[in-house]
Formats: sequence, structure tokens, C-alpha cells
Amino acid sequence: MAAQTEQEKKMAELIIECLNLEDIRAEDIEPEEPLFGEGLGLDSIDALELALAITQNYAIQLKADDKNMQQAFGTLRSLNAFVMKNST
Amino acid sequence: MNTQKYSPLTDRLPEHIIAFRSDGAINVGQFLQAAKRLSEQLPAHKYVFNLFADRFHFLLGFCASVIAGQCTLLPPNRLARTLEQLSVDYPDSYTLEDPDSLCGELFAPGALDESAGAGNGVIPEIPENQLCAIAFTSGSTGKAKPNLKYWGTLRTGSMNNAGFLLKDIDRQISLLATVPPQHMWGFEASILLPLFGGAAVSHLTPFFPQDIVESLESLPEPRGLISSPVHLNVLLKSGVHPPKLERIYCATAPLEKSLALELEQRFKTRVVEVFGSSETGMLAFRQPSHENSWQLSGLFELDIQEGGVLVRGQHLPEQVLLQDVIEKTGENRFNLLGRHQDMLNIAGKRGSLTDLNRRLLAIPGVEDGVIFMPKGDTERLAALVVAPELEPSDIVGALRLEIDTVFLPRPVYMVSELPRQETGKMANEDLLNLYMEIVQMKKSVKRDCNPG
Repeated sequence: MAAQTEQEKKMAELIIECLNLEDIRAEDIEPEEPLFGEGLGLDSIDALELALAITQNYAIQLKADDKNMQQAFGTLRSLNAFVMKNST
Repeated sequence: MNTQKYSPLTDRLPEHIIAFRSDGAINVGQFLQAAKRLSEQLPAHKYVFNLFADRFHFLLGFCASVIAGQCTLLPPNRLARTLEQLSVDYPDSYTLEDPDSLCGELFAPGALDESAGAGNGVIPEIPENQLCAIAFTSGSTGKAKPNLKYWGTLRTGSMNNAGFLLKDIDRQISLLATVPPQHMWGFEASILLPLFGGAAVSHLTPFFPQDIVESLESLPEPRGLISSPVHLNVLLKSGVHPPKLERIYCATAPLEKSLALELEQRFKTRVVEVFGSSETGMLAFRQPSHENSWQLSGLFELDIQEGGVLVRGQHLPEQVLLQDVIEKTGENRFNLLGRHQDMLNIAGKRGSLTDLNRRLLAIPGVEDGVIFMPKGDTERLAALVVAPELEPSDIVGALRLEIDTVFLPRPVYMVSELPRQETGKMANEDLLNLYMEIVQMKKSVKRDCNPG
């Protein structure tokens, strides 16, 4: 599996903590595995809670009409890249 | 007082706004012309699945279908299997969905006669007993239950709802909804309120808090936001600053009084909560910051029954038994005490524990199992499964094909056996104890692996 970077590991920890994913460890979330639907299997309620956690931890507001947003939420890697790019 | 407020579309002034789409506002005159034209272009079938995500397309498609004498099907979810099953039950049907190919052309420059009047002669009067829609709900047998909506039912109900929702608002309200128009709450609040209550509605369905704010900013005052507790909670906590908001309308799950109070204080608005069902439509209203009890709509009568309440209304095609437990507190007022144990309501979707468990046990390889709601402030189901050859991902993968995502259990723990008694029954306490044991064990394993 592709290796996680330090930043990706922190993002994975945030995902696990805010969504109460009990039976998985941060290092087990594959960076290129889908987060929603298949893969980790998150749903739209998770998306909302995750967006809130990102706002609170990285001080950015997510916006869906940003064309990149759809892709950003695709995998751990893409989400982390998006957040890093948009944080001050 | 604006007597145009609660009039059906055909009684309103043609220049009155009905919707806001990406290219600007649409008035009633333009809308009715477009609906009539679209009705002549629709495929000739008895039923139509209106899966438009764009709210304006949904509104236009629904009206065109009504004019064409077609019945709109509102599925309980968008799963392929659900739609397949419904197509089998309603074979004389077609689908409307985005990206759209029909509606856009209707509004090309010069396509509509700007000066044409609304109503008279443009569209026929719709008979009270015309079947306009069927709202499907999940039942305990697994098959979606149809709830028939006749024009008279929708019109009578909606004009009554408008009386409650638009009370004390003396100008036309601009509505924005975060809930889909196919779900009964979104359908009544964001589609029927413009049709029968004089409101105007945005084509958008924003998701993230910042999107909700920007979508609201694009609308003229006074503004109304149609949403649900999960979404409103995130909106509040995200720290965004919405523009002036006249009303927040909330439904699908009980709204905490503290959340309602905070929303009213921070956003300087009034929160109106609605209680209803897909079978009956909107039933009762309250302002949760101020009151616990509900004000019943004057159209209905309630009779308390064993484990539920019988609802009657002259405009309803038949009486309805709801699995909600209530106590009457006064003339047309009641408190909600809870739901009958089998019925779940998660994120506004209705489900049956019996049905979910039946599907779990039907998965090949599953010898025994149970899906249940653990204690605590969670809206998520959990599962304990006996299936020596399977992993949790196999269980979830199989369920995902058949049930709405909000009902997918998480976590799923594989166990060697369930604490059943000799009779085969399982005591709730034994189930929850086993679950908590496993949760604790997993936590301590995690701790041991991650010292410090």
C-alpha cells in the first residue's frame, strides 16, 4: 500500500476521532482508498461532521461548488492535499 | 394583508416570483408557460420517477407531469435496487434526472412570451381526485409502501401548512432547502409551499455551511431555511455568519431545545419545527425554543391507540396509523413520547429493525446476528454477527446493496455466539452488555498498542 505522510496520518487520526471509527487505526487508512461509498464506507452525515472537524482544526471553510471539492473528498491523500493547499 | 399569499399558482399575479435559478428569477407567468410546454414534451407514460437534483427542475418537472396527467413517484432512496424494484411494480414509467435535457431549452432567450398572463387558459384546472404523486416509505416487510397523494390532499394540506409556516411574515418569503425534494419534508416545504403558499424557492441544495451562507446571500429578504437537526447543528458549530434570516424550518428528527435557542440567538431568527410523516404530510408545529408540546394542524384528528396514534383528516384518502406514542396535553396540543420499538428514524429516513435483521440473517454465511441501536448519543446502528467465514466488510458490503446508507451498522463485530436464551429470544440487557464488553476490550487493545 502507498505509505502515509506525516500530514496524512494526522488527517487520518482526525477522521477516526471525529467519526468514532472504533475498529480501525489511523495507519490502516490507505491514502488512495475511497473514503465514501466503498473503501472506508463513509456517508453524507460523516461528510458533514468531517467538514466541521476540518473547519475547527484547520480554520478553513469547505465549499462544494469548488470543482476540486468533489475530488478532494475522494481519498485521504486528496483530502489532505486540498486542506493543506487551502489553509493559511 | 397580502391575499395573494395562500393562493394556488394559477390565482397569483403573473409577475410574482416563484423560483430562483442559476440564470435569475422566474415569475409565475413564465413558469406556467414553461410547465405547459414541458407537459407536451414529456414521454407518454403513466408514472414518472422525478430524480432531478436541481430543485427548480424538480418543481417544473412535477408541475408538467401533473398537467400531463402523470403521477410522480418519490422513491425512499436512490439505490439502484430500490429503483429497479419500483420499476417492476410500475412498468409504465420513465425517469427525469439531471443533467437535464428538457428544461433548459424552455428558457432560451425569446422562448417564452414575457407578456403572457398566468393561469387562465394556460393550464387546465386540476381535478381534486387526480393522483399526482406516490411517496414511498420503508415498511417492516421490506417492500416499499406506497402513499397516494391526490391533488386535493396536497392542496388542502399545503394551504393549511402555509398558514402555520408563513404566520407573521407579511412579504413573500424566499426559501432555501438543504433537504432533497424527493423526500416528503423537502417536497412539502420547498415544492408545495411555492405552489400553494406564495413562496419563492431557490434551485440550490447547499451542503457545507459556507455554501448555505452564500446560497442564502443570493436570495432577497425575507429568507427561510428548510433543514434538519444534523445540518443545523453543523451550521451553528462551524462559525459561519448567515445573512438576515427570517425563519428556520426544521424537521425529520426532534430538535434539541438548547440547539433551537442557540440558533435563534446567534442568527436572530425564529425556529419553527414541524412534525409529520410521509403518510399524512405535515401534522403539527411548534417553536422548540419556547415549547415542548406540539400544535396540531386543524385538519387532523388524533386517536391514541396501543403503541401508536390513529390520524384522520378529511383531505386524506384514508386514515393512517403512526407508530409514534403521544399524550394529549390540551385542545389540539400533544407531547411526543417516543417511537414504537421496531421503527427507526435516522437522518429523517424511516426504517424497520425487523426488516434490517431479516436482511442480515439472509446473507449467505451468516449463522446468527443482530442489528441494534447501542445506548448513548449515537444515531448509528451497530451489529454483532456470527459468521465464521466472513469479515465485517462482507456484511456491510452485502447490506449496502439493499438498504439506505444511514442504516448501515457501524461498527460490525464478529462474535462466536449471541447471548440468546433457550427460547431463542435475546434480552436487550444481555445484548448491550456483550457489546460494551467488546467495545471496552477493543479500547484496551488500542491503548496497549499505543502507549503514551
